[in-house]
Amino acid sequence: MSATTAPIPSNDGGRASWLPRLISAFSGTTGLAVKLALLSAGNGLAVWAIVTLLAKHQWIAVAVLVAATALIDLLYFGGARTVPAKFLIPGVVLLLGFQVVPIVYTVAVSFTNYSTGHVIGKQDAIKQIEITTLQPPENGKAYTMAVAHDASGRLVLLLQDQLSGKTFVGTQKGLTPAAPGLIHASGGVIESAKGYTILHGLALFDLDKTLQTYVVPVGKAGIRPQSTTTAVELQPTLRYDAKRGVFVRLADGAVFRDNRKGSFVHGQEELEPGWKTGVGFANFSSIIHDPLVRSPFISVFIWTFGFAGGTVLLSFALGLFLAITLNKKGMRFQRTYRSILIIPWAVPGFLSLLVWGGLLNDKFGVVNRIFHISIPWLFDANWAKVSCILVSAWLTTPYFFVVSLGALQAIPEELTEAARVDGGGPFQIFRRVTLPLLLVTTAPLLIASFAFNFNNFGNIYFLTNGGPFTGNSSIAGATDILISYTYKLAIAGGKGQNYGLASAITIIIFFIIAGISAISFSRTKVLEEVV
Amino acid sequence: MSTVEIVAAQSAPIALEAPAPRRPRLVDTWWRHVVGVFACLVALFPIWFVASAAFNRDNSISGTSYLPTHFTLHNFGNLLHNTSKDSSGTTIDAPFLRWILNSIGIAIVTAIATVIISALAAYAFSRFRFRGRRFGMLALLLVQMFPQLLLVVAIYLIVLNVGRILPVVQLNSLFTVMLVYLGGAMGVNTWLMKGFLDSIPKELDESARVDGASAGQIFWGVVLPLALPVLAVIALWSFIATFNEFVIASAILNTTSHFTLPLGMYGFISNQYGQRWGVFAAGSLLAAVPAALLFMFLQRFIVSGLSQGAVKG
Repeated sequence: MSATTAPIPSNDGGRASWLPRLISAFSGTTGLAVKLALLSAGNGLAVWAIVTLLAKHQWIAVAVLVAATALIDLLYFGGARTVPAKFLIPGVVLLLGFQVVPIVYTVAVSFTNYSTGHVIGKQDAIKQIEITTLQPPENGKAYTMAVAHDASGRLVLLLQDQLSGKTFVGTQKGLTPAAPGLIHASGGVIESAKGYTILHGLALFDLDKTLQTYVVPVGKAGIRPQSTTTAVELQPTLRYDAKRGVFVRLADGAVFRDNRKGSFVHGQEELEPGWKTGVGFANFSSIIHDPLVRSPFISVFIWTFGFAGGTVLLSFALGLFLAITLNKKGMRFQRTYRSILIIPWAVPGFLSLLVWGGLLNDKFGVVNRIFHISIPWLFDANWAKVSCILVSAWLTTPYFFVVSLGALQAIPEELTEAARVDGGGPFQIFRRVTLPLLLVTTAPLLIASFAFNFNNFGNIYFLTNGGPFTGNSSIAGATDILISYTYKLAIAGGKGQNYGLASAITIIIFFIIAGISAISFSRTKVLEEVV
Repeated sequence: MSTVEIVAAQSAPIALEAPAPRRPRLVDTWWRHVVGVFACLVALFPIWFVASAAFNRDNSISGTSYLPTHFTLHNFGNLLHNTSKDSSGTTIDAPFLRWILNSIGIAIVTAIATVIISALAAYAFSRFRFRGRRFGMLALLLVQMFPQLLLVVAIYLIVLNVGRILPVVQLNSLFTVMLVYLGGAMGVNTWLMKGFLDSIPKELDESARVDGASAGQIFWGVVLPLALPVLAVIALWSFIATFNEFVIASAILNTTSHFTLPLGMYGFISNQYGQRWGVFAAGSLLAAVPAALLFMFLQRFIVSGLSQGAVKG
């Protein structure tokens, strides 16, 4: 069944015999030693991990780890009955950890609203809301402030009440009165403090972002930096009613209720942050019902099929054409052509793509300058799509060239000869004899290539970055395919991250790929071998 | 006697009179050469201009032409420093050699480990009959349809959260990236490998077992050496895939000194074709030439693996 089969062992003993010798040297006693060494190393690692986990009170993780380690040890000393397991363990452990668990996790996340602003649990969100909604009241206390590092490098605020002159040290944990004489202040400026390094200038400037959200809690209220040298007292504007589970605004009594989607809302108003919670099929249904999600998704969806189909068809057509043209018996330079034409396949793809990105640049790009044209290859939505397919075809054609060449040479010459004798023209012979035979061997490769290009992240991301972008609010560019769109939704979008939606789209992609694979498997009957 | 043989026998003397395998005349094949030369020009087009830019003094893509206008090795010299200056004078953190070492190191280790892991699993599926075997193979088939690329979000979140508790897998660690790659190793390759192992006669195992060899000894000493061709194919495929991988590496790695080559090069050029083209071209050339030579040298293996993949799906 397989094209390559194992050679029958011979006693020539010549080259490459060092490897079997090396390998057999590691079986027997040495092999046992290696096995025991690896196993004890594994156990040692497990013990260390268990101790670490115990220290951090991760009881479930400890239980899982202990059980897994015990199971593995049992299997390795289990005698003849567990032999197959020994061979499977290394792969299975890694497969579980980095493939199966992520799959389960992806499915779980797809039913949640996990996204920017919905990262933490509900209790944490309530605490955060209480802090972020603190506001300086009219006639509130004002403080002179200096930002400093304490002895252990922690960020603290040194404070002096502008009315009473009392001094304090504030951290994110709370406010403590400073020992008398610790903080020296004069003329509304804190000059020094024993044991603290006061930050000035650039060091302070770098902390700007941190300081904006830095709050020293004082009971239900707090103290927040207002400038680099002053701080103000804050008072709560909302009250959390634990019994009813709602926030009440103190000013007007407006009630913010849990909307069951991970946020407290009052009409259109929403408190930030929200929390992570299950939302059922909301992510999936938003793809169908929410126009903001649906319209980019549909255009991306269609283009993904267009890109994968276009790339495969164009590359196959070009590769087959080249193979037929150059597969002429006795023609000169055949090997030279073959070696050169294979180069685009041999060069690492990401480099070629980045280079093409430069060559196709509309202003300085080599292509436009050399041919004296001015085509916006990457900056017009339609041209960018053309570029994506052309460049992908440049990368993929050598593959189909080699494949077609092999398939052509496997077709018995008698067949085409017979067709010629029967009066078939060259085109007719190709259509009726060569192509059908060729497709028998290449069809599975075409399907596989389609599935590969369907998820060909690199070809899009390196060449156009998914762009050009139309300027509406969507993060999907004109050439984004599903996988690059998902990547941007989840990781590199620049507009906040939506893990829930990204995971839902991931699952949709999985079903498409599984469908394509099912077609491929039914052709190759691979499953029959299992029985 | 079949007709074909009769025809062959009759035509044999005539064939002897004619000059042995005749080259087609150029008059008949000229158009094939036109197509061939044109295709070669297209294939070499970007490589030619990259080579030209790499040896050119102008660091901007608009200065690139058929041949370097001012020949220099300056761009290559620039790569050896850990930082690089672009033409606007900005210094960029670009430890190019580090990236190459990271990429090659991670690709080699992953390739070796991938081969061992998938060979072990394939051996179990090929030689033993145990409960859950059929389920295991089908599960592998299903799991590998979920490409790791798609799982990047989950992998990122898992590494982030596990790393906080247990500092074995951590963000910004090449070791973690490698572990993640190995998680995907078994699913893709075990089927291919099993097909090959099935074609190694079981009598060899039997005779070794009669001689008192354990399952481990049979695997390492008898089966693995015979499976070398398919091991080479899988190692090579794994190497190429790892060397080109971007998404998972980009999710986990975040400091320039830990970057792999695709990550580093992507960040380096980041659409700055105006300022950094020369150095980028030099780096691309330096990275692409050995990779391309290796590929062409081992091409035989890759193509044989392809035809096998064709049968196996």
